[in-house]
Amino acid sequence: MSEKCRDAERRLHEYVDRELSAAELQVVARHLDECPPCLDKFAVQEHLKRLVKLHCQETAPSRLRKYIRGLLP
Amino acid sequence: MALNVTGQSDGAVATRTNLEEHVDALYRTALRLTRNPADAEDLVQDTYVRAYRYRNRFQEGTNAKAWLFTIMTNLFRNRYRRVQARVPEERIDDPRQDFFIYEHLRAGGLPVHLQSPEDTLLGREISPEIVRALEELPAPNRMVVLLVDLEEFAYREVAQILDIKIGTVMSRLHRGRRALQQKLWRYAREAGLKAVPS
Repeated sequence: MSEKCRDAERRLHEYVDRELSAAELQVVARHLDECPPCLDKFAVQEHLKRLVKLHCQETAPSRLRKYIRGLLP
Repeated sequence: MALNVTGQSDGAVATRTNLEEHVDALYRTALRLTRNPADAEDLVQDTYVRAYRYRNRFQEGTNAKAWLFTIMTNLFRNRYRRVQARVPEERIDDPRQDFFIYEHLRAGGLPVHLQSPEDTLLGREISPEIVRALEELPAPNRMVVLLVDLEEFAYREVAQILDIKIGTVMSRLHRGRRALQQKLWRYAREAGLKAVPS
């Protein structure tokens, strides 16, 4: 694993959360283009992020909505 | 309480409509925080009671969703401070743990591209395991993971909502995600999901 890989890995979370500056993003994206193992590693984390969202999609019960609507005249 | 949460502008005062539209978001997060529907409902109800009571403190042009989450996470922290047992953390301060599932997939000779819909690590089959893994995270880490992954708040917004530093947001997020990977892998294996070797 190269120094470039380590640099990219340090930015894993900020990359998947779209928190990097444009310049930092470019550095990571360029590395992922040329390093298949890092691309896979990042893809797994992106899928984990999506997994949380995908499996937490319950909607509020109608009783709760009604209660909230009744709070203001 | 930090009520002046700035962020993406809803460009509005706290009218009934722009507060009510966040009820599903508050409820799905409350479910993972309280771990049961009755308590989640109570928490969201109390959040709106407070939001309407202090509606005049909400500042025009600030983010209604972030404001509601500030109220809810404060209520949650005060109410459940003692109830939620601290689950001992596994070895999650090591950044190499960021790749726990990747390394295990590779070691098992499995594809690491989790892209196909039939993939059990992404598909519907994993639902009880992901919920269980999430709900077992220590509350401070769980709150950050939910605010970032589920509600898609920026780190800066999460810092304001929870009144913590951005560095703390990041360390809780990293720990939460690492623990989530380890738990998810273990529960998926216990459930005998086919993408996960035993």
